[in-house]
Amino acid sequence: MGVEQEKTVIYDHRISTVVPATVTGNAVLHELTNMDLIMKLHYLRAVYYFNQSEITDGITIADLKNPMFLWLNICYPMAGRIRRAESGRPLIKCNDCGLRIIEARCRRTLGEWLDVESSSSSRWRLLVPDKVLGPDLQFSPMVYMQFTRFKCGGMAIGYSWAHVLGDPMSATNCINLWGELFSGNPPPKTLQLNNHQKKAESAATHVKVSPKPIPVNQVELIGDGWLAPNTRKMATNSFRITETKLKKMQPEQLKQVPTFVIISAMIWKCLAKIRKSRESKMATICRYLTLAKCSKILNNMLKTSTVRLDSSAANFGLLELATLICKQEADESKSVEELVDIENGKPDFVLYGANLTFVDMEGINLYGLELKGQKPVQVDYSIDGVGDEGAVLVLQGPQRTNETSSNQERLVMVILPEDEIQQLCELLSSEFGIAQDLKINHKLSVTNM
Amino acid sequence: MPRAPLPEFSSSVKLKYVKLGYQYLVNNFVTLLLIPVMAAVYLELVRMGPEEIMGLWRSLRLDLIQILCSFFVIIFAATVYLTSRPQPVYLVDYACFKPPTTCRVPFSTFMEHTRLISSDEKSVRFQMRILERSGLGEETCLPPANHYIPPRPTMEASRAETQLVIFSAIDDLVRKTGLRPKDIDILVVNCSLFSPTPSLSAMIINKYKLRSNVRSFNLSGMGCSAGLISVDLARDLLQVHRSSNALVVSTEIITPNFYAGNQRSMLLPNCLFRMGAAAILLSNRRRDARRAKYRLVHVVRTHKGADDRAYRCVYQEEDAEGHSGISLSKDLMAIAGEALKSNITTIGPLVLPMSEQLLFFLTLVGRKLINPKWKPYIPDFKLAFEHFCIHAGGRAVIDELQKNLELSAEHVEASRMTLHRFGNTSSSSLWYELNYIESKGRMRRGDRVWQIGFGSGFKCNSAVWKCLRTVKTPVDGPWSDCIDRYPVDIPEIVRL
Repeated sequence: MGVEQEKTVIYDHRISTVVPATVTGNAVLHELTNMDLIMKLHYLRAVYYFNQSEITDGITIADLKNPMFLWLNICYPMAGRIRRAESGRPLIKCNDCGLRIIEARCRRTLGEWLDVESSSSSRWRLLVPDKVLGPDLQFSPMVYMQFTRFKCGGMAIGYSWAHVLGDPMSATNCINLWGELFSGNPPPKTLQLNNHQKKAESAATHVKVSPKPIPVNQVELIGDGWLAPNTRKMATNSFRITETKLKKMQPEQLKQVPTFVIISAMIWKCLAKIRKSRESKMATICRYLTLAKCSKILNNMLKTSTVRLDSSAANFGLLELATLICKQEADESKSVEELVDIENGKPDFVLYGANLTFVDMEGINLYGLELKGQKPVQVDYSIDGVGDEGAVLVLQGPQRTNETSSNQERLVMVILPEDEIQQLCELLSSEFGIAQDLKINHKLSVTNM
Repeated sequence: MPRAPLPEFSSSVKLKYVKLGYQYLVNNFVTLLLIPVMAAVYLELVRMGPEEIMGLWRSLRLDLIQILCSFFVIIFAATVYLTSRPQPVYLVDYACFKPPTTCRVPFSTFMEHTRLISSDEKSVRFQMRILERSGLGEETCLPPANHYIPPRPTMEASRAETQLVIFSAIDDLVRKTGLRPKDIDILVVNCSLFSPTPSLSAMIINKYKLRSNVRSFNLSGMGCSAGLISVDLARDLLQVHRSSNALVVSTEIITPNFYAGNQRSMLLPNCLFRMGAAAILLSNRRRDARRAKYRLVHVVRTHKGADDRAYRCVYQEEDAEGHSGISLSKDLMAIAGEALKSNITTIGPLVLPMSEQLLFFLTLVGRKLINPKWKPYIPDFKLAFEHFCIHAGGRAVIDELQKNLELSAEHVEASRMTLHRFGNTSSSSLWYELNYIESKGRMRRGDRVWQIGFGSGFKCNSAVWKCLRTVKTPVDGPWSDCIDRYPVDIPEIVRL
């Protein structure tokens, strides 16, 4: 398939905007915490695939847009725009400017689309807008949604979310809320919005003069666009790890080691082999706090920790490495937050990809987006703005009716320099028998849990 | 030494009472004259005594035939008089379209869209300045097609908007009045800028299954004052057709009229025009008099189209790049002022009390004969009307009229608040304003309302209504959920 054909496989783009139903108010501001500002150069891109069914057949664009007006009433900072305070610190002005909605059509069927095989398989790229904040910060929407209709009647919902607004937990909870409103359920009463003055909480007024902080990289932005340039071209790929494989990799003595750590160890070993001398022997682990721990919808609550190894990861056995990771994780969250100056929100940082980053997204309810009971048949997830060291996301796999949550399969999305991906695929299939996530069982019926 | 104009003296208390006394004297002149005459006749009768009165009666020597003939003459004259009187036209009720929140356009969104659609930096800044000073609020609504970047004005989208606004308004009216569509005798629809085939009136007939002998009319191209033209047409038809009712629908369809170019004189409609519609039920049936809200007293239409400047003042044309838009000339305000003067010169004698007319006449005579430097007397229309509905064409129009007619802030409040909440909804804005006054609980039985509309041509049309029953709050209408927030203070410039 030629490149030209690739570009026109998604056609008939129509752009519009959706705003909150009622006036948010005059000069309502949403303050950004230090953690928010650290994450500002990252963007979450998600694509939810829905099979053709009676439900999707009856959905019109008006049906999709109408619940959003109430949704934005609840989560009104999503509809705001970035402004700078007098000191230069960015904040969000909740001026009801709205989300951008894109409608598009695809010349292929959903089945054909999910079957696409190519080494730099970024099939999700065309289904979600790849916009970033800036250079005109005042007029850049923070959230985009793209609705793509496939030839067979299936649908893909692309969801682009600026990390400055919240972490993947917040983003997913928000879109799941939209799904609830779409299905006609009333909004939950217990949701609060994050309207705090977090600035006052950061006690440290000066940056600690200490050895270079580990989980983040400081970057210099060119111009006002919030995207850090990469020196190497990045690409993504995804791998499916079935439950049988998981059971094989987790023998009796490692029952207490979480699956996420084992998968991370596996990938780290492979990457160490590929990178050889370039390997940095350090990795960052990112986890998110669940909603139960924080009652507010929009926030960046990441727990970052680093693991330092004495020698290359390739030298360790899988189980050895996994145990080492568990023991040696050093929590760096506090020191990371203190890096940002209270006054002007400088300097600019990249977190994912400053070191090789392993992101634990198992707890994120990606398949909780239900359209009148229909769950997505597949979810692709990626992060833009990842640094050169790359990132590995461990996500939930598609759920099946007779599974308990602990045994379901995992989807691993890797964001790495392009040349490393092919080698990684080969290594994973030869050493661990993990195949790329290619074929999807079309006959997966609509799961309703 | 030029004589100082009268209004300046009103600060003095003494002159205020003199003025009040003068008004009372002149307005009730005939009554005051009749009292001594009647007193004299009564005294005379009392003095004469009953026998002398009987004697006077017999001397007339009336016999049966003469009595019968005079009787017939009296009855004949009475019948001719009664049948040649104009049929009263009652406004039974009216309903305005309430735009859904899914059509809302906040300032920030409008500005962002403008920046994305238009390539010209200057025209974007110009539109921003217009919006800041426009007097519009954050809740005005545009149709779904205009939420796209760029807007997608298809025929289908225009029809969809039409169906949404008109059918909602008519459904509301049917609910309020219990009107059965089969009972509608006359249908008048006005929509200036969207005129498909079949017409909008045919669309209504099709949807509501009106009778096959309904008299339908569709007025297009007549601008923002077409609402009152429709009412005038309905009134004339109701003179000819006895015991009938008329449904008047006033609207403006925004979808097909987005201006995609950069010429400044054509950018105003994009910024100010918003979705709206009104459906009005008029009737000349006697039984509707009991439940009607208003009675139509006068309609006065003034057309200045004979003057070339006025004719080209609001002109639809293509700009240099081929984009079609409505160009507003710079002397719009001046021409509007002249048209208004023309209109009130005609309506003044019909509505003003005798005291004002006399003063105006005397000042006019004085200016012509004695001293041309006398300031023209501006009649006080506040004596003739309790409520004013000025077409919410834009902040400048309302300011101008407030100054010209010397109205207080409360008189123009309905117009300003309608502009804020709904934007310029063209011909239906007068009905939103009337609904505001009712929702505020200010409409009482016997109150007189003056509706003034301006439109392309250049036209100035007025309608005078008299309220027949006090309207109780809360009023079911487009203001029902937000009337408590009004009036709001609208700043001179809104910082975006």
